[in-house]
Amino acid sequence: MKEWNSILKKIIKSASGRLRLLLATIGLSVALLLILSAVQLQANYNELLHSKNNQDSVANFLVVNKQLSNANYGNTTLSTTAIADLKKQPFVDAVGILTPSRFKAAIQSYSSQFPFYTDISFESVPATFIDVDSTQWHWAPGDDVVPMIAPNLFLDFYNFQFSLSQNLPQLTQEIVKMIVFKVNIQTATGILSLKGKVVGFSDRITSLLVPESFMQWANAQYATENNLQPSRVVIRTKDPGNPALVQYLKEHQLTTDADKTRFSKYRQIVNMVVRISWITGIILLLFALLIFSLFIQLTIASCKEEIELLITLGAAPKQLRQFLMRRFFPNNIYIMIAAIIIISILQYVLSHWLQQQYMFISTIISIYTFVTALVFLGVLWIVNFATIQHYIKKENS
Amino acid sequence: MMLLRIEQLVPTPLKPNLANRKSDIWLQNTTFSAGQFIKIKAPSGSGKTTFIHLLYHLRNDYEGNIYWNEQQQQQFNTTQLALLRQQHISIIFQDLRLFPNITARENIELKRVMQTPYYSATEVTRMAELLGITKILAQRTGICSYGEQQRIAIIRALMQPFNWLLMDEPFSHLDSENTAKAAALIKEECTKRNAGFILTDLEDDTHFNYHQTLLL
Repeated sequence: MKEWNSILKKIIKSASGRLRLLLATIGLSVALLLILSAVQLQANYNELLHSKNNQDSVANFLVVNKQLSNANYGNTTLSTTAIADLKKQPFVDAVGILTPSRFKAAIQSYSSQFPFYTDISFESVPATFIDVDSTQWHWAPGDDVVPMIAPNLFLDFYNFQFSLSQNLPQLTQEIVKMIVFKVNIQTATGILSLKGKVVGFSDRITSLLVPESFMQWANAQYATENNLQPSRVVIRTKDPGNPALVQYLKEHQLTTDADKTRFSKYRQIVNMVVRISWITGIILLLFALLIFSLFIQLTIASCKEEIELLITLGAAPKQLRQFLMRRFFPNNIYIMIAAIIIISILQYVLSHWLQQQYMFISTIISIYTFVTALVFLGVLWIVNFATIQHYIKKENS
Repeated sequence: MMLLRIEQLVPTPLKPNLANRKSDIWLQNTTFSAGQFIKIKAPSGSGKTTFIHLLYHLRNDYEGNIYWNEQQQQQFNTTQLALLRQQHISIIFQDLRLFPNITARENIELKRVMQTPYYSATEVTRMAELLGITKILAQRTGICSYGEQQRIAIIRALMQPFNWLLMDEPFSHLDSENTAKAAALIKEECTKRNAGFILTDLEDDTHFNYHQTLLL
């Protein structure tokens, strides 16, 4: 077998061109590099979007309500079916209903040194949607103090605008947390006074939050009207920049914090670019396959006479096919290995560069890239085999 | 053992020329028994090379039938045909058909190792010595003389197992001394294999004790 191959190699080698092989190799390498980098880019892109390291805790919660317009003026409640539909969407992980207080309330300071009084309303949300980790976040009927979570926005507004204009002292979060104030709830029989205390600050929901248990109790006891439908919900999503989410909200006349979803536009552009890189990669690969099969055809055509004579002398089609496969196919394996090595190096460099920008991707190539490489090796094998088979048959007849 | 039978055989392009000629082969039914030495005497233009090529299945443009062990030749697929040429029929072409870019020894080796070798590599050296071409074995075949190339072709044909050896003017480029040596070697190899041969030539000759001499 070894001798047979070495003699055949001499016969075929003298006939096939080296430049042609070089060109076909370059074409195939470029195409494979492109297609593998398209896959790897896609993998990196997904990793950047979905890995824990890159996620921003604030961005994952969106408060959604109807867009207030002349058409739905006075009727901005969200129906049960609308909420159920929202829950079903693939980009929504969980939906929490924001329950507003339906009683009149005011808060007032105990201290005369720092007097304040304001009418106020509260909202409550299931505890899993709250980002403040406080042991004080519970309330039961009979408890004296109602814990509250205030939006950072309120404090900033007070510290950087209101206090300056009113000549009041600025307050830190710690100071605010120490203040116990009076919570007055208007009931049918007069004013009910409770104590209130801010236990934490949040960026997630821009309203004064109280525990759900308090809200249920107070609404049941003192609600002035019986509208039970919520107007606002908070949704948890893996990806607030998801164009599908933005599209859905738009279609259902819902609105949310536009700041958090503004990346959706950029995402669409990036998606398009990645898709284009896929298409170019595939087109180039098709060309490369064509070039490579043409190369094999040309090589076989250029040793047509030799192959004819070999068949005349009794070489079996299988023998020739085996030899030609062994001659042409390993080249594809080497090209593939080289492409994988190059992509690996690029990935390593890219991951280090991105790390400096606080973006984290894997330093090694993705399994999908590897699988794609194997799949294309299979495709190349089939193309090689089919071409060789076709031409041997042709010479044989 | 392999029986060769031809039945009303005629190459299509030669049919008009051959219709009115007396021939022992064309348009006849003939059986060649295993192990027979057959001489086919063929004047120019009678289709000598065509006949050899038909038997070796290099062409398909014929009418009638060729049977190898009662199997119709046209029904052989490419794999069976390759097997036939590796194990049962060997050939010495008139136009030799050697690869010009490889050495004489490689040309012979090619046919030795194409199938499970019948002979070891030393046999090449022995036969080359017998036919006096030892010194050109390492030479590129393309630059060898016709006489040398013909002897390379003869040794190549003898490297494989066979039941029939087809020879188309195998000694055309050899002097009488070298012809005698080559004929002796061919006879020895055929006898060793219990094989027969079909030799075509223009004239009568006494190179072998033919069992049968036929006119094409």
